[in-house]
Amino acid sequence: MSEHMKSSGSASTLGRDIVNKFPEVQANPLEGNRIELVMPADKIRAIVALLDESVSDFLPESMFAVDLENDQYELIYIFWSHSNKLLCQLRVPIEGEAPEVESVSDIYPGFEWHERETHEMFGIGFSGHPDLRLLLLPEELEGKYPLRKSFQTDRSRLEESGLPQPKPKPPAAERPARPTPSTTPKEGGESPE
Amino acid sequence: MQTWIDGIVDWLFGIPTWLHDVISWWVRAIFWWLSSIWAIFVYVWSVVVYNIGFLFKAVIFPGLIFIVMGIIFAVWSTRKLWGRIQARRGPFHIGKYGGLQLFADAIKLISKETIIPEKARRWMYRFLPSFLLIIVLLPFAFIPWDSSWFIADLSVSLVLVFAFLTAVPVIALLSGWISGSKYSLIGGFRAANNQFACEIPMIISSVGPALLAGSLSVMGIAQAQAGIWYVVLLPVNMVTFLVAAIASVGTFPFDAPVADSEIIFGWRTEFSGIYFTMTYFAEFAEQLLYSALLVTLFFGGFWGLPFIPAVVNFIIKFLVVFFFFVIVTSSFYRLRQDQIVRYCWKYLLPLSVLNVVVALLAIAYFPGLALLVIGG
Amino acid sequence: MKTDIVDDAIEIWFGPQHVSAHGWATKLTLVGDYIVECDPNAGYFHRSAEKVMEFRNFRQGALIMERLCMLEAFLAEYPYVTAVEKIAGLEVPERAKVMRTIMMEASRIHSLQFWWGQFAAELGLFTMLLWPWVDREFFLDAFEELSGSRHAVSYNTPGGVKYDFNEGVIAKLERAMDRIEDRLPKFKDMLLRGPTFRVRTQGIGQFTAEQGLKWGLSGPNIKACGVPMDLRKDDPDPSLAYDMCDWEVPTVHNEDHPGESDAYDRMVQRFLEVETSLGIIKQLLPQVPDGPIIDPKHRAKANRLPEGEAYGRVEGTRGVTTLWLKTQDKAQTPWRAKIRGPCFSSYYSLKHLVPSSKFADFIVIFGSLDPYPGWWDR
Repeated sequence: MSEHMKSSGSASTLGRDIVNKFPEVQANPLEGNRIELVMPADKIRAIVALLDESVSDFLPESMFAVDLENDQYELIYIFWSHSNKLLCQLRVPIEGEAPEVESVSDIYPGFEWHERETHEMFGIGFSGHPDLRLLLLPEELEGKYPLRKSFQTDRSRLEESGLPQPKPKPPAAERPARPTPSTTPKEGGESPE
Repeated sequence: MQTWIDGIVDWLFGIPTWLHDVISWWVRAIFWWLSSIWAIFVYVWSVVVYNIGFLFKAVIFPGLIFIVMGIIFAVWSTRKLWGRIQARRGPFHIGKYGGLQLFADAIKLISKETIIPEKARRWMYRFLPSFLLIIVLLPFAFIPWDSSWFIADLSVSLVLVFAFLTAVPVIALLSGWISGSKYSLIGGFRAANNQFACEIPMIISSVGPALLAGSLSVMGIAQAQAGIWYVVLLPVNMVTFLVAAIASVGTFPFDAPVADSEIIFGWRTEFSGIYFTMTYFAEFAEQLLYSALLVTLFFGGFWGLPFIPAVVNFIIKFLVVFFFFVIVTSSFYRLRQDQIVRYCWKYLLPLSVLNVVVALLAIAYFPGLALLVIGG
Repeated sequence: MKTDIVDDAIEIWFGPQHVSAHGWATKLTLVGDYIVECDPNAGYFHRSAEKVMEFRNFRQGALIMERLCMLEAFLAEYPYVTAVEKIAGLEVPERAKVMRTIMMEASRIHSLQFWWGQFAAELGLFTMLLWPWVDREFFLDAFEELSGSRHAVSYNTPGGVKYDFNEGVIAKLERAMDRIEDRLPKFKDMLLRGPTFRVRTQGIGQFTAEQGLKWGLSGPNIKACGVPMDLRKDDPDPSLAYDMCDWEVPTVHNEDHPGESDAYDRMVQRFLEVETSLGIIKQLLPQVPDGPIIDPKHRAKANRLPEGEAYGRVEGTRGVTTLWLKTQDKAQTPWRAKIRGPCFSSYYSLKHLVPSSKFADFIVIFGSLDPYPGWWDR
């Protein structure tokens, strides 16, 4: 395992190599030996394959989506190389009601479940993924995508639970604003069905 | 000449006669019944009186009540010893030193709801646990606790003991089969696998004492050890018998049939309530039985220190062997079932055969020496 | 392999009611005594920690992290805390750094002790279940003295730590360490030299470092292959004090299969981990500096965070534990928090590790990866 990457050990050279091959990729150095690569969604598979080729001991550390609202999402892949002490973060902006990207789970099997989780939580499809069943959620939440910002956690599922209904809500205008996780205004209060 | 009046008179006179006959028949019948019941009672009483010794043995002392109390004590002492070995206290709430804990547990288990799985064969499910307990309890009849304290003595009792014990894994396999659960089925096959591994070494190990004693009776083997315990002559056989016995009971390290971290509780997974209690008791009864057999075959049976009663001698040795069982069960990891078969066939079987062959050669070529050592 | 190919294959659910499946279930396909297919199922413990975090402020978030894995509570809450510190720009005082490190290593030892017991019980020896758990009580006493709670300690907080060391904590920590040092040789004898342990674990669940890295394994599972991958050395955290002491990343080099690890090697590795952690605590305990235990501006700074992203990482007992945090400007709650539990990958890797092994070895392979359901279900 002492095999080093074929190009070089530093993050900037890795970034340069990848930008040379894929000019549409934008490389942002982060503090320390870390690099962030922003890339379009259709290049993700090619670039992950290139990363796998150039650094032999990349650990697929984490992979997840971030909901930026208005059907905008970001996919973030994080790789860590022990022999180069190098952290590589891929950032893939995607958009759409049900966006789809290519799966990388055959290159890094460690991402198979991460992709499954992202699929059930955000509704992002992964083409070529062997198994996109639900991972963590119960069946009744299939297709509801709970980690989307539009998913309502408050009482929206009360009817299913069979518990007594609360008093009717006052009209939306009189309701005090719920402490939102952000300062940006929310859109689409209904959970997508 | 007779008129119709006479007929009426006759008929009227006939009524008391008829009534008298009916009543006397009933009285005789009742007397007959009473006397026959009395006769049965007298007969039974005379049987009891004439066989009071046997009945006492069968029901009270080396028999049922003694064995059941022994099992209860064995469970308690196992739990207490395990607790001490495992840095905890074991049961201590009910009774002195938790001595009544087992009664509380038994009452709890018996009063629990019996849940029979949908796919189980109901009749067999109800029948097999009690059958297992009976099968395991029967060989205790042949254990000689003293030269007079035993229930039965046959010339082939050793063979009969093994015949009974061979049925145990068959019942385990059956209960796994009829429980309607995959885990039970796997456990049942593992129990059969255990018996397949250890039965032959165990029986061959018991051939040695039988040869030296010249008897297939458990009683005869025990009595033949007046001069010298067979553990001195057949130490390897003693060890092989002990290991095979542990494997046959199915406790650690040979507890693959009931490996709780792998197959929940093996063939006993689906048993609940009283049925579980019976299988649980049967396991301890089997441990006790093997301890008693080990004492009888190798540790001189009831022979021992001359100034204490023979039964006490037996029970002391019995407890020591049982204690050893408990120590073993709390200090080994579980072996896989293929490893059990490998070790039993690769090491136990040759060793047990070797010791028997040595004993045979000694008897054949140095009969004088053998007789001298055996003591006549 | 599909079941219609092999007619006599049976499917068996290992869990969730199974006694050793505490909160997970795996569907196994058996042919004879061999497993041909393993399908790990997650979600029985799912408490939607990531969604809950979006509605809790930056002090409460650490408590949610800690509840994912109570055994390594000090370590589990750290990624969240350090991510918040990075965004908020909080400076951790020197004293807090050293105290954090000491308690995190104590938590690691405690977690490993718990695991020995659990693994031994899965292998069938209940004596070894209870002996380490007795010693574990001594660490719990120290945690209780420190924070008032045995498991849910909530010690690390953005900007520093909540509770200061006192005489009692140090005395109890030292007592716990003396106890484990005294008992470690015995445990080694009972676990590593026991013949029944060796035959059950050697050659079981073997994989190479390359395979393990591809599956996402980290921590002791990879170190047992001989790769000294340890975030404490590789990615030194400025708010921890690992550079103040002298230690080496422990690895196992097995002569029989270099570059690979089996269940036995992983057990050896975890003993080495305990020894390393003991060494770190011993060196750090005398050099706890004086000073404040928390950044004085932590109230103002950690209430509302500026916009930013941060990636908090720590080498947990079971591997790389991370938290990715994104905040909006002047936010009271995170916009997105992504937890990477180390056991997410270990549990997943059963899918590749288990097939073609025996049914009885399944629980050995599972136990040897030291999985904890809270980490994958979150």
